[in-house]
Amino acid sequence: MITLEQCQRRLGPGVVFHCEHFHAPAGAHVALWGPSGCGKSTMLNLISGLLTPDAGRVVVDGVETHKLGDAAMDHFRGERFGFVFQTFNLLAPFTALQNIMLAMRFSDTVPSSEWRSRARELLERVGLEHRRHSRPATMSVGEQQRVAIARALANRPKIVVADEPTGSLDPKNAQAVMELLLEVCDEAHVTFLLVTHERGLAHRLPNQFDCSVLIREEARS
Amino acid sequence: MSLWRIAWTYLWHRKLTTVLTMLSVALGVALITAVLTLRDETRKRFEEEGQTFDIVVGAKGSALQLVLCAVYFMDRPPGNIALDVYEAIREEEFVHAAFPIGIGDSFQGFPIVGTTSEYLEHTRLDVRTEERARVLAFAEGRNFEAPMEIVLGAHVARTTGVILGDQVVGTHGFIELSERVLEQVGGHSHADTPYMVVGILQPSNSPNDRALFTDIHSVWEIHGEAGHFPEWHGAEEDDHADHDHVDECEHEYEYELEREHEHAHEQSGTSPQEQQTHAADQVTAVLVQLDSPGDRFYFKDLVNRKYNAAADIPIQVIERLYDQLLSTAKTVLLAVGYLVVVVSALSILIGLYLSILQRRRDLAIMRALGASAYEIFGAILIEAFWVTLLGIGLGWLLGGATTYGLSAFMSARFGMTIGAFTLGRDALNAYGVILFVGMLAGVLPAWQAYRADVARDLARA
Repeated sequence: MITLEQCQRRLGPGVVFHCEHFHAPAGAHVALWGPSGCGKSTMLNLISGLLTPDAGRVVVDGVETHKLGDAAMDHFRGERFGFVFQTFNLLAPFTALQNIMLAMRFSDTVPSSEWRSRARELLERVGLEHRRHSRPATMSVGEQQRVAIARALANRPKIVVADEPTGSLDPKNAQAVMELLLEVCDEAHVTFLLVTHERGLAHRLPNQFDCSVLIREEARS
Repeated sequence: MSLWRIAWTYLWHRKLTTVLTMLSVALGVALITAVLTLRDETRKRFEEEGQTFDIVVGAKGSALQLVLCAVYFMDRPPGNIALDVYEAIREEEFVHAAFPIGIGDSFQGFPIVGTTSEYLEHTRLDVRTEERARVLAFAEGRNFEAPMEIVLGAHVARTTGVILGDQVVGTHGFIELSERVLEQVGGHSHADTPYMVVGILQPSNSPNDRALFTDIHSVWEIHGEAGHFPEWHGAEEDDHADHDHVDECEHEYEYELEREHEHAHEQSGTSPQEQQTHAADQVTAVLVQLDSPGDRFYFKDLVNRKYNAAADIPIQVIERLYDQLLSTAKTVLLAVGYLVVVVSALSILIGLYLSILQRRRDLAIMRALGASAYEIFGAILIEAFWVTLLGIGLGWLLGGATTYGLSAFMSARFGMTIGAFTLGRDALNAYGVILFVGMLAGVLPAWQAYRADVARDLARA
């Protein structure tokens, strides 16, 4: 499903991201873990096409994404990926329902006639159907993350990526959100990539990928 | 959910900034709207009236003064011409109708126009259908049939409260003075020769609304007794009519009367008594309608060659006034309006630019959700479009309201109401330019959003 080979990206003067090989089969749940600044998020951005590699290959769902143009990559990302970020996940001017519908608007996966019903269905799944008309500012961080999980599943993606999804939550909420995330990813049979610096959290997933050696400093001549 | 809706939601989310930016656009648009509407509407009204009469014949002097006096009842007469001229012109070939005009007195500041009863039945030629239609209609009563009968324009009746059957007393010139003052300055109220109101006209949206019409024999009769057929100094006196300083008015009025008498003597070399005998032989002007407007230039030359009088084409004089004098004023005001719009465009640019900086993460999330850079560019441009369009809409309303207010003033002052909430071709063109400038102001912020580094912006907390 996801393969990185000899993937390289220059991040700054003398600083290079380099991934020799990474592979996640379809439906796998993989934790990308390592300390802050080790290149976990860079790897996630390369996989999702938000960054393009300077060298090497990125293959997602059989497509060599590093060869796609900007517009094609945007479209590909909208169809195949669902995102959950650490914080400020939702767009402030829009309601919970609209945030989910927005994801569908930027992809052709779900017909527009089904946007509303699907959004409501997803909100119901994460237990927030009653907050469908609430704006992010009126919701707790935990609720916002649950809406973000619903939004990540809106386009029936093949891959869900979560970048430190519990980083801003208290332990109780963090556990609830993580459980929900794993449940819905199981139900949807998606490939799940979790970025975390917490080793304990990483070990809740069946597969771990150590990112601590991805950033290299080039020797100065 | 369309990009339009997304753009609108973001604008609504920052209402205050949006409203302030919109207001700045609206101010420029209002100024431009008011200037263009006033220009177009006043020109249309002036031209309508100017087209009604093909030729105006009067004393040699200022053509503009003659037209403003005889056609629009706005200025004092430049002088008088012999009644013979009117009688001869009436018999000329090509003449459809000719109306004598004698102006000199007023009632509560409204000019009393001495003419023939045919004037109130005059028609206007529709150049497209080549048919003539009556301009004036009676709301009440009838046309004057004998001397000392008078017909009131609609605005005069409404303003003064005079009704059918009332008597009205004319005052020499164009100012309302108390009896005490009139006695002191020589008794130029014609209290002993009141007019009987026999008719009231329907509103015609023309200068006729703010005038009173009587048989020209009435004017001759009154001024035969009063001393002479007057030179009208109404415009100068009217400038002071709104003041409460009666003493000031008295002095100025006495001064005007002295000047008036001296002027009449100098012109004719006759005594006031001799002038009195000549009063009935003069008219202020003659308004001429020709069988065909195409004969205007020929007829103008004919009159100028043949008679001791000046002939002018009212519409030509008015167009000259607009082109030479008013177009400069219009250009200056329009320039100010466009300057305001440019400043507004800058505020759109700054507003959107700051907004883009504030929501870089939002835009990055949209990109992560699959929005293309083009869609983001389009959404920002649409925001600029909305702000400018709403500014134009609000500006049009503000400009219309301003024009509406001015219309009431114009109606009282010149007897012409102007359409307030109109959409002329020039205004539409101006709005198109403003919309383009507004969207142009959105290009830089949109480009900024288009080129955003999504991965970096997503990493921002």
